[in-house]
Amino acid sequence: MSSLLKIDDMSVRFETPRGKLKAVNNVSIELLAGESLGVVGESGSGKTVLSRATMGLLPGTATRTGTITYEGQDISSLPKDEVRELWGTGMAMIFQDPMTALNPVRRIGSQLTESLTVRLGMNKKDAKEKAIELLKRVRIPDPEAMLRKFPYQLSGGMRQRIMIAIAVSCEPKLLFADEPTTALDVTVQAQVLELLTELRKEANMAMILVTHDLGVVAGHTDKIAVMYAGDVVEYAPTRQLFANMKMPYTEALLKSIPRLETPTGSRLPVIEGRLPDPTKDEPGCPFANRCPYVTDKCRAEKPPLTDGGNNHFYRCWFPIGGVK
Amino acid sequence: MSETSQLSTTDSVDTPVKIKRKRKRPIGFYIAGSWIALIIFLAFFGWALPTPSWDESFYDSLGVHPFHPSHILGTTLDGYDMFAGLVNGARLSVFVSLVSVTVGGAIGTFIGVTSAYFRGKIDIFVTMAFNVMLSIPNLVLSLALLSVLAYSDENHPATMTRRVGVLMLSLTIVIIPILGRIARGATLQWSSREFVLASKSMGTKNFTIIRKHILPNVAPAILAIGFLAIGSVIIVEGSLAILGIGVPGGASWGSMLANGRGNIAYSPWEVYLPATAIAFTVISCNWFGDYVRLSLDKRESKI
Repeated sequence: MSSLLKIDDMSVRFETPRGKLKAVNNVSIELLAGESLGVVGESGSGKTVLSRATMGLLPGTATRTGTITYEGQDISSLPKDEVRELWGTGMAMIFQDPMTALNPVRRIGSQLTESLTVRLGMNKKDAKEKAIELLKRVRIPDPEAMLRKFPYQLSGGMRQRIMIAIAVSCEPKLLFADEPTTALDVTVQAQVLELLTELRKEANMAMILVTHDLGVVAGHTDKIAVMYAGDVVEYAPTRQLFANMKMPYTEALLKSIPRLETPTGSRLPVIEGRLPDPTKDEPGCPFANRCPYVTDKCRAEKPPLTDGGNNHFYRCWFPIGGVK
Repeated sequence: MSETSQLSTTDSVDTPVKIKRKRKRPIGFYIAGSWIALIIFLAFFGWALPTPSWDESFYDSLGVHPFHPSHILGTTLDGYDMFAGLVNGARLSVFVSLVSVTVGGAIGTFIGVTSAYFRGKIDIFVTMAFNVMLSIPNLVLSLALLSVLAYSDENHPATMTRRVGVLMLSLTIVIIPILGRIARGATLQWSSREFVLASKSMGTKNFTIIRKHILPNVAPAILAIGFLAIGSVIIVEGSLAILGIGVPGGASWGSMLANGRGNIAYSPWEVYLPATAIAFTVISCNWFGDYVRLSLDKRESKI
């Protein structure tokens, strides 16, 4: 399979009144056509910025460095108008909160057909037919009636399906799903993830699934990038990562998922402390203050991204299971 | 009334959309709506009513009381028919206020929405310009414009068209920053919403986003303030007429008020009637504007 997206040494900085905020640091990721990548990390780790920066959807206060190659073309140096040509038809995005991602005053039909008429130049009749077909594809019952509804008449799960239908309407090759299930009920979460995976396989679409929940990515991705404080700290094929975790941070993330086996009333393990201040440049591993295995070396020197073999990369001096 | 509410309850079972349209409106909405409809009707079709001519003095009936058989709302001390004057004044007041609020609102909305959507240096400049314009009292601004652009004395009388034109121009300039700021504020709020980003991420062009996503959301706020603005424009027009630089010759409500001011002791209806017309129209516009704003709030709360 050919390389669809290659992010090389990408960094994102925000200008803030307190100084430069480092949101993403020197991230390199490669994605093949039809492949699915999970980006995992806690709030503020830079995973949303990573996906928006890749698309070029950052606000004016942000600066992005590094190169992004999409289908063999360097899109990081393209002018904005040409990048926009790729949005929708090449890359599309699903947003976290389906409550705010739909325009409250416009009917579902007009929002769904917007990109079909504007981007693909379809006439109204064709666009309507295509919209009905899209609604069927995202398993919405009675699609004709749905076209006439307003967003406030729908549940969160329904709205997220509409968002997915809009995102895939121009048949993108790469779909960014930015925490698509965070705002939804647990029961609906599974359905939406199933739907995304099915759509992806039908159209051989690549997906970058951004989430804070390791459980979400487990069954729906080919590889995983774990992010912490703007760094990719562990990057491996999904099976490899779960079987052979190297980073103490990934382990801590997994431990903080509640389990059925633990006795009732026991405390949920949490990761103590919080993310380092992203405007400050401090030496050492950014996770050092929260890591259970911390040593003096961790506090003094930031570990590089190390190749552990089997496409497994990690950023730790003392990985779990030892260095090979 | 009870029949309609029964109907809407049965409807609600099948089509919940319809209840929204049939919800009860406050009584003030109907009163204000009817008054506005009446004034607009008079403005457009008042010339067709069988009234005496408004600019002709009836020398045989000077200062007759209202409810006189031949002059339903009486005449002025100079013998001008009050009803005809009010009907004719409606035309000018409605024309002046509608045109200046529509034109000023359109320009203000365009400037406000685009500057807030694109931000940057233009936005800073526009905000500054709006603030400067708002810091000049609008009556003073209109006064200055009128006395410069439509200067008039015995030797050089300014034409009626010129006076009305300059009056509308000055009112338009007054309206631009008022509605522009509302548009800017609303756009700032709506353009940071995720659906704008979502539409952007589908490759929609900026002006398409403004047209399809920003304007429909900003419109209710503009409309609400626009109705209030119509009310204040009518008041400014009246004030200018009283100051003697508005429309001359009793052609507008304000002008009638200005002409009748001296006769208040002999024929008070000369003042009361146009004042009532102005007050009712302004109150109706405010109520109507409030209703538009309220219906906007209801829609917001449902999201």
